[in-house]
Amino acid sequence: MWYHRPVINEELLQSLPNLKIVASSGVGIDHLDLKLLSSYGVKVSNTPFVVSTDTADLGMALMLASSRRLVEGYQIAVSPDTEYFPADWLGAEVSGATLGIVGMGTIGYKVAERAKAFEMKILYHNRNRRNKEEESAVGAIYCKKIDDLLQQSDFVLLSVNLTPQTHKLIGKRELELMKPTATLINTSRGLVVDQDALVEALQNKVIKAAALDVTYPEPLPRDHPLLKLKNVIITPHIGSATKKTRRLMMENMTESIQAGLAGLPIPNEVL
Amino acid sequence: MSKKVQAIYLWWHKPVIDQELLQSLPNLKVIANSGVGMDHLDLKLVANFGVKMANAPCAVSSSTADTGMALLLASASVFLAGYHIAISSGMEYCEADFLGVEVTGATLGIIGMGSIGYKIALRAKAFEMNILYHNRTGRKEQEEQAVGAAYCEKIDGLLQRADFVMVVVSLTPQTHKLIGKREMELMKPTATLINISRGAVVDQEALVTALQTGVIRAAALDVTHPEPLPRDHTLLKLKNVIITPHLGIKTDKATYMITEEAVENILAALNGLPIPSEVLPS
Repeated sequence: MWYHRPVINEELLQSLPNLKIVASSGVGIDHLDLKLLSSYGVKVSNTPFVVSTDTADLGMALMLASSRRLVEGYQIAVSPDTEYFPADWLGAEVSGATLGIVGMGTIGYKVAERAKAFEMKILYHNRNRRNKEEESAVGAIYCKKIDDLLQQSDFVLLSVNLTPQTHKLIGKRELELMKPTATLINTSRGLVVDQDALVEALQNKVIKAAALDVTYPEPLPRDHPLLKLKNVIITPHIGSATKKTRRLMMENMTESIQAGLAGLPIPNEVL
Repeated sequence: MSKKVQAIYLWWHKPVIDQELLQSLPNLKVIANSGVGMDHLDLKLVANFGVKMANAPCAVSSSTADTGMALLLASASVFLAGYHIAISSGMEYCEADFLGVEVTGATLGIIGMGSIGYKIALRAKAFEMNILYHNRTGRKEQEEQAVGAAYCEKIDGLLQRADFVMVVVSLTPQTHKLIGKREMELMKPTATLINISRGAVVDQEALVTALQTGVIRAAALDVTHPEPLPRDHTLLKLKNVIITPHLGIKTDKATYMITEEAVENILAALNGLPIPSEVLPS
């Protein structure tokens, strides 16, 4: 299964009586009806760990590109109308700023490791608190209430799974709690953010900017307001799009399929 | 008016300091530069007029290191190509067409390990990058160990092994066209060149050829020669190049800190005290 295709529904499952396993690319499984698949006796696997560093790297790339206005800068540098570079054109500093990580799983933690090297102050919100060693290794401070994180962060980075609990986790209320100078970065799933509320927040300068590797749907309709806003960077879900990682994903999926067909324990099985 | 001028704060290389200007300002005591590079100043000429010079080395390092990392990450991940696809009106969803290269675990070669180069090493280490560096002199062992950096006395060794080559030197007669045809041919064809120092450190024509013929994979340039490039320059058209308009220290925080440093230098000079970041003609 690559990028959520084919769509797995009742009709498809009924037409494939000998289907034993669905191997899904990437870590997210929100596009799969696990109960349905289980009722047909079909096993499911994903590729959870191999995507982590690429996604963490992309989260950092989005944060740096957004705050330093890389895309705008590039456009100025290559535009046929540019005669000189404006001297009063400034971005915001990443080094020393406060990063709030919502969802401190494998990917969130790797983001924290990277951000620490930029001397950032790191806050995090998670279902469960990490242990003391893990926290002090990256200098991360736990925020039991997401509000505290939102109010203090210069950058809010989302790296949660999409579940019924995280659906529209960031909505109007959360955006209004954020600083007007803050940037929202999303490398999780489009549906974790209330997109309409985000558009409004960006248009009314409730927050400063957003950088999104994921939207809902993907791709967005070509006339969607998010595509037109100057303070938004969108990338086409390239979180895992490197040659090496794609190869590793394929290898993982092949292993899972082979084990599934041989009736052996399945690596990366999703239960 | 010109007799009253005792100090000049140079902002983005303006005003141009030449013989004519210096002669017209008899009471000029100090020129404080915004930023660390002094290659736009004729140091000997200024010294001949008895005018002191200072730069702002401390404030620039984090911002410039951040710029270097931003360019490295953007060029590795085909960020801009992705962005254009994500927003373009004619988009068909063909995500497999372009893939980036990994940053985590890759080898970074830093040419010029001064304060900026070292801050880049600190950041790159957190991405589990393997770090090589080339410098006029090696750094102390402790400093090397803190970032896991291996010294390459000859630049060739670094060029042959690096996936990303980051140029962070001052522009001097020795570093002029430091990276030319020979150096680029030593680089891996899968490697990316990132320049955050000065445009003239890279042989620009050789770079165009190298990029067009696949001698190297890509380049990310925060600096060019001149700035901006002429609008018909080939570099502006190549798909495997990111150019940014000298972002180096263009943040509100850095600008503030640079100005503070400059003011300190100016006040010291006017009060006849030792100047914190004085630059002498060598």
